[in-house]
Amino acid sequence: MKKTILIMLCTFSLSAFAGEITVKVSGMVCSLCAQGIKKKYSEIEAVKEVKVNLDTKLVHIQTKDGMDVSDTQINNLIKEAGYNVVSIERK
Amino acid sequence: MFKNLVGIFWLVFTASAAAHPVIFNDGIVVSSSNMESYSDNQLLYTFTNKWSTGVNHWRFSQGKEITELGLVRLNHLLWRRNADDSQANIYLLSGIGMMDSENDAQGTSEAYMGGFEFDWETRTLFTALKHYYFSGPSLADFSMTQMRIGVSPFEAGFEELQSWLMLQVMYMPEVDSTIVVTPMLRFFYKNVLWEFGSSTRGEWMLNLMVHY
Repeated sequence: MKKTILIMLCTFSLSAFAGEITVKVSGMVCSLCAQGIKKKYSEIEAVKEVKVNLDTKLVHIQTKDGMDVSDTQINNLIKEAGYNVVSIERK
Repeated sequence: MFKNLVGIFWLVFTASAAAHPVIFNDGIVVSSSNMESYSDNQLLYTFTNKWSTGVNHWRFSQGKEITELGLVRLNHLLWRRNADDSQANIYLLSGIGMMDSENDAQGTSEAYMGGFEFDWETRTLFTALKHYYFSGPSLADFSMTQMRIGVSPFEAGFEELQSWLMLQVMYMPEVDSTIVVTPMLRFFYKNVLWEFGSSTRGEWMLNLMVHY
């Protein structure tokens, strides 16, 4: 019983750290060129999944459990991909 | 007034060849542009988000005379404007290497290339202008200007096939007084772009570009 509770606590506490980051990006009009965004974020260990939406100009980043990507890192990666960050929102 | 209108038209409704001179940091671009009168093959590595370097092979064909250039390239993203629904860029292009011509008077020698590229695009409109100038001790200097305008009938998603109707205008005044107009289709899907068309003088065109 104690073991079960311990496992549940560990699971919930790790899940609490998994997060979703939504980045609004300007200049993202070409899907070919924006492939760089996906490539750059996919190289980051903390990133589980990256989705780019050209309609909303948003990049959705899902981080791995217990890991995070800093605002500075987000800004740098978007800049390296050739774009500008408008806003960063975390859930 | 007319000159001003022509100037505005030139700047706004103009375009470049298939190659992207500078892409994302640590990105590699392989491109090949082919017409009967010329081919342009490039392998470029973007080492910061503003600079790229690589190798470039040109082949110009004028009648039976063929001139080839092998260049080491250095490109610079001079200016970029990222807006909500558009992006505009100005690139400076340079290259140094060797040329070889079937023309005995020119033979083999060093060769230099300089140029610039301007482009502006939204998800459904594309315009660009590219100008190259080629020179060398035993090379008769010549230039190449390419202008493009493109329209996409729909806004494709990030990992969907994007289609474009394009028009390219090419002018090489020192080589041929003809202005070559080439309507073409452009497609890109994920990291691959391909274009094909045929010029008003019956020359085929086939371009391919891949970003890695």
